[in-house]
Amino acid sequence: MGEPTQGDDGRVWDPLVRLTHWTIALAVVVNGFLIDGDALAHVWIGYTALGLLALRLLWGLIGPDNARFASFPISLSGAARHVAGLTRGEHREYPSHNPLGALMVYALWAMLLLVSVTGVMLDGEPFPEHESAYSQHNDNEEEEDHEGTEVIENMHEVSANLLLLLAVLHVGGVVLESRFSRRNLVRPMIFGDKS
Amino acid sequence: MDETATTRRIRADKRRASALAVVLAVQALAAVFFIADVGQDLLLGGVTPHSLLEAIVAAALVIGTAFGALQMRQILIRIRQAETAMSIASGALFELIQARFQDWRLTPSEAEVAMFTLKGLDIADIAQVRGAAQGTVRAQMTKVYAKAKVSGRGQLTSLFIEDLLIASNGRGSAVREEI
Repeated sequence: MGEPTQGDDGRVWDPLVRLTHWTIALAVVVNGFLIDGDALAHVWIGYTALGLLALRLLWGLIGPDNARFASFPISLSGAARHVAGLTRGEHREYPSHNPLGALMVYALWAMLLLVSVTGVMLDGEPFPEHESAYSQHNDNEEEEDHEGTEVIENMHEVSANLLLLLAVLHVGGVVLESRFSRRNLVRPMIFGDKS
Repeated sequence: MDETATTRRIRADKRRASALAVVLAVQALAAVFFIADVGQDLLLGGVTPHSLLEAIVAAALVIGTAFGALQMRQILIRIRQAETAMSIASGALFELIQARFQDWRLTPSEAEVAMFTLKGLDIADIAQVRGAAQGTVRAQMTKVYAKAKVSGRGQLTSLFIEDLLIASNGRGSAVREEI
């Protein structure tokens, strides 16, 4: 008996948060591990990730409460308190990301922005008609200003590796947080509702 | 659980929000590609009628995406409000029923039988659920009706509806005064 209760603590991820989360995750994995950096597909996937990130950032300004930046501010002391609480076995609900998770969110976004912006800078022309034209154009550019391109290329590579490292830490954090708080944090990100 | 008009509307809104999220993602992608293209054209070719038009299209796309996002937020807020209202309403009704049952000094088993009756179960159903004889259930219901001073199930149900209508100010009380 009894109606299924819903929205008790409001911890529900809306469709846009979920969609951008998983598509960006997919884009990062595919571009980081599966597709060669010189491939045209790499460029297109990079632009896609940048577009999705832009949409998520817009959503952080005008979206519903728990998707907004204001509901998960950067707070080192809050994050420290959260960790201390977890080790003591305390369970606290947050309307949005927990303070430690919020730090990770901003770190991931900043790194993703750096990776995609350096990627865009590397690629003078995002819309070559054919792949051959694309590689030809790349060769030309390398001849033109070799040094500047190399610096940006290095930045792109280093920040991409850092992004992958952050992603691994993010997954580890989710697993640990789920363990400590005895809640499934993944389920709401897939289905929207709480476990 | 039964599918009511409200839950149906909430489900439809949720579908709408999901579809809108996909549309917004596609729009955002298109906007980024367009802006990159326009930027390239302006850098290489300077301001031409062609690049100017493209810039306007890109701006329109960005504005359209923002308005789509605002609309989506409205839908999400509407879903949240409907869900909250529903849980408040069902909670209020439940409290009201419990309070009345106490007023009438129903025994625990009478209260249970009365609750099943309000939910629309008939004597045979209730007897089966409670593992009791139909005669026992019928006797308990007679006692419930007597204690509530009503003639039967219809009047028992309408007691609570009447209470709710009086409690909600405005239209509910207006109708009552006309009568």
